[in-house]
This record gives sequence, structure tokens and C-alpha cells, in this order.
Amino acid sequence: MISLESSIIRFKDVSKAYSQDNIVFSGIDLEIEKGEFVFLTGPSGVGKSTMLRILFCAERPTSGEVWVDGVTLSSLSNSQVPYLRRKIGVIFQDFKLLSNRTIFDNVALSLEVTGLGKKQAEKRVMQVLEGVGLTGKTSYYPLHLSGGEQQRVAIARAVVNRPPIVLADEPTGNLDLQRTEETMMLMEELNARGATIIFATHDERLFKNTHRRVLRLLNGKIGIQ
Amino acid sequence: MTLPVLCRRAFYDLRQDLCAQFMTTIVVSLSILIFAFFTLLYFNLQRFVERFGTELGLTVFLTEDTPKDRIPGLYQDLAGLPGVEKVTYISSEEAFKRLENFLKDEKEVLEGVDPKFLPPSFEIQINRAIFQLERIKQLAGEIDKWPEVSKVQYGQEWIDRLYIFSGFIRIIVAITGILLLFTAAFVVTNTIKLTVYARQEELEIMRLVGATNMFIQGPFLVEAFLQGLLGSSLALGIVFAFYRFLQGIEAKSELLRGVNICFIPWHYTVAIISSSVLLCVLGTALAMRRFLRL
Repeated sequence: MISLESSIIRFKDVSKAYSQDNIVFSGIDLEIEKGEFVFLTGPSGVGKSTMLRILFCAERPTSGEVWVDGVTLSSLSNSQVPYLRRKIGVIFQDFKLLSNRTIFDNVALSLEVTGLGKKQAEKRVMQVLEGVGLTGKTSYYPLHLSGGEQQRVAIARAVVNRPPIVLADEPTGNLDLQRTEETMMLMEELNARGATIIFATHDERLFKNTHRRVLRLLNGKIGIQ
Repeated sequence: MTLPVLCRRAFYDLRQDLCAQFMTTIVVSLSILIFAFFTLLYFNLQRFVERFGTELGLTVFLTEDTPKDRIPGLYQDLAGLPGVEKVTYISSEEAFKRLENFLKDEKEVLEGVDPKFLPPSFEIQINRAIFQLERIKQLAGEIDKWPEVSKVQYGQEWIDRLYIFSGFIRIIVAITGILLLFTAAFVVTNTIKLTVYARQEELEIMRLVGATNMFIQGPFLVEAFLQGLLGSSLALGIVFAFYRFLQGIEAKSELLRGVNICFIPWHYTVAIISSSVLLCVLGTALAMRRFLRL
């Protein structure tokens, strides 16, 4: 049982439907504790990404209420959304890197939007790139990197401004086994530093022997194991 | 976001998409160029009409039986009329002498003609600052009613024609101005839309990492500002060069000497540049509105 005080994410009776015939999920109740690492799984198209998109306000729920780090999302105006997003690092399966910017610039973008000074930003970017093992490739462009390296850049960009929450949407979907393991280690490290992580994946091997909570989304309902 | 950061980002984006930015600036420039040419034409025509009308002035012919002692009184009355700058009395003898001078070698045709056959007259110069065709007409009408006056002449037909032509040009300038400024705004809006479409993924990523609308929109607005400023300045620069070229021709040509070609008044050039900048910035803000909705 998770206490309300320690939960950083909370869904209360949340439903999402695009039309009357297209109901993604309904009546979702969920709480995620600060510093927790949870897996969100289920077959493709079941609504895992939609749940994550609701958390960073790319979509709004049809009904119900969602709280993120003490903020009620329904009360959030459009102009406040960017400030919420700075508390959430998002990692995608397709990396979503800017091909015309260097690795350094891609990572620095997260800090640039917050208005952090150039010197401070430079220091932080170099620190985080060192953490993901890409120190020597700061001036490279994304297309010059392998898929695993691109994913590490995406992770670096998601965590460089030290967000308390990291949402990973199938981050290993395009990676081979070795790169998947490297990515999982990075996620574990982030979690060890205190970040709450929601890791959406349909790959059961990733949480086969885990002690972490696994949220299973099926037929529009959520089950916990 | 501070101004230096905003400008740095805008110049970075400009470098990334130099070709599209250049094309937009050229389109703005061409639109303003056509408008500025018409404006230059209008102001010169207006000036010409004003000068022509003022220089023509009014000629008041007196009746043959006007007693000489009435002349000083009439002179005073005419000089006292509002808008009248200078009054010159031309006696019948003076008029005859002028005619002789005009005829030069053929003045013998006047042999035997009574030097007093021409009526005495007053030449009236109108104050240029308050020149208006309506005012001249009104003045002529007033004077014409005086019992000593036989006829008032003021090149009415010419002034009327020029005035109508000048009004016509004014309408053309106004219509082309509005159309061209809207064309420029439309082109800028659509070019920005295309640029935004091309950079949609980049904008999406920016939004994802917590960029505010101002952070995303800022560089685009700076780019639009520069496009408007550079485009209109370039156009006015070309028109100015053309004006200097015409001035050169005017100085060399006997026919054009004294025409006194003028440039578009400075407050109009400021208005053209400001409108261009404003339309480019507004067009961009409008084009981006859809992309900034969450």
C-alpha cells in the first residue's frame, strides 16, 4: 500500500477514449511512489504510450484526475505545461533527436529552454554525456552514431536537467540485446539517484526476474503484479 | 529568455535555412519595391501639380472702362484676399510690351495697333502652402463677381486634368499598397508555415523538453522582423538609387530642369518600413498559432 504523501504520480478513475467505439482504457486507479521504478507493459496498442502522454500533458484524459508531483493536471493551463514538462524526462523508442544539431546541442536543448547559463549548461551536459559514455562524441551528429548511442543521447537529454520523473516509452524497442542491457543499466543508475521511472515495454524479458512493480495494461484495465 | 539568447537562436536558425529566409526577404522586397515606385510617382506628380497650379496663379482682367483711380483700391482688395501671396498690376501698355517681346522678330504685325487694345489686368500668385484646387476655384468665382472684372483665368482645364490624374494615381497607390502589403504578409505567412512544417519535429521536441511558446516562437518572430526590415529597406534603397539616377538626368536635361524631383517624404518611408515589419511579424505569429496549441 502506498501512502498519498509519498506518491509522485496518481491516477484516479482515469479514462481515455478517442470516440465511443475507440476506448483506450477506463477507470484506471494508480499510484506510483517517489523513487519507484515501475514497468508498464501490455500488448502493442493497448494504451501504454497514451498513459505516458497523459502524464506529460501531450494528451488530456477523457475523464478522471491525474496528479504529477503534487500538481493536478486538469487545473494546469497551457502556459503552465512547459514548466511541468521540465520535471519529466521523456525517452522514446525512436529517440527523437534533432538530426541537424550535434550531440552536445541535442542534450543542451533541455537546459537551454530553462534559461540556464551557458557555462553551467556546458558543465552539466559534459557530466551527463560522460555518464552515458559519450564524452568523445559531443560534436558528432545523431546520424553518425549507432542506435544504442543515439538512445544514450536521448537518455542524456531526458535527465540532464535532473527531473524527478523519467518516462521511458519502449526505449529498447529498436536496440539489440547488448544495447538493451546497457540502457537498462543506465535506467537503474538513474533510479538509484532518486528518479522515479516508468518504463513502458512490451518485452517481457526485461522484467522477467525483477523485484520491481509491473503494471499490466490489458483490455482497458490495469493489473498489478 | 534573454535578448542575446533569442538573437543567437534566431541567427542560428537563419543560417540553417538561409535559402528560404532569403527568398522570403526577396518577396517582401519586391512587393515593397512596386509599392514604393508608385509612391514615388505619386509624390512627384502631386508636387508637380502643386507647383504648376501655384505658378500659373490667377490673371484678373479688368473691364476697359475701369477708372485708373480704382486700380490702387482693387490692388488692396486683391492683396487682402486669403491665400493671395503677391499681386502685380499689368497695365494695357505693359501687356502690349510683353506681347511685343513675345513676338520678337514678328512684332511688326502689331504696327498701327492701339497699345491700349489689351485690357489691364492683375496677376495673382497663390500661397503654395495652402494651395488647393477648390480654393483657387472659389477665389476665381469670388473675384469674377466684382463689377470691374471682365474675366478671371487660371488654367482651369490643365489644373483640373492634373488634379484628376493625381487623384487617380493616389487611388492606384493606395490599392496597390494595400494589395502588395497583404501579398507580402500572405507570402511571409506561408513561407513561415512551410518552414514550421519542415521543422515540426524540432518544435515538437522543444515542447517535449519544456520549451515555452515564447521560446519556440521568439526566433521566428526575430526572423520575421529582420525579413520585414531588410526587405523594405532594400526596396526603398533601390527606389532611392533610382531617384538619384533621375536627379542626375534632371540636372543634365534642359527639358527636365526645374522639375525638382522629390523622394518619398521621410515619415512615409518610416511608415512603409514599420508596416512591412509589423505585417511580417503578425503574419508569422498567425502562421505559428496552430503549431503552438497543445
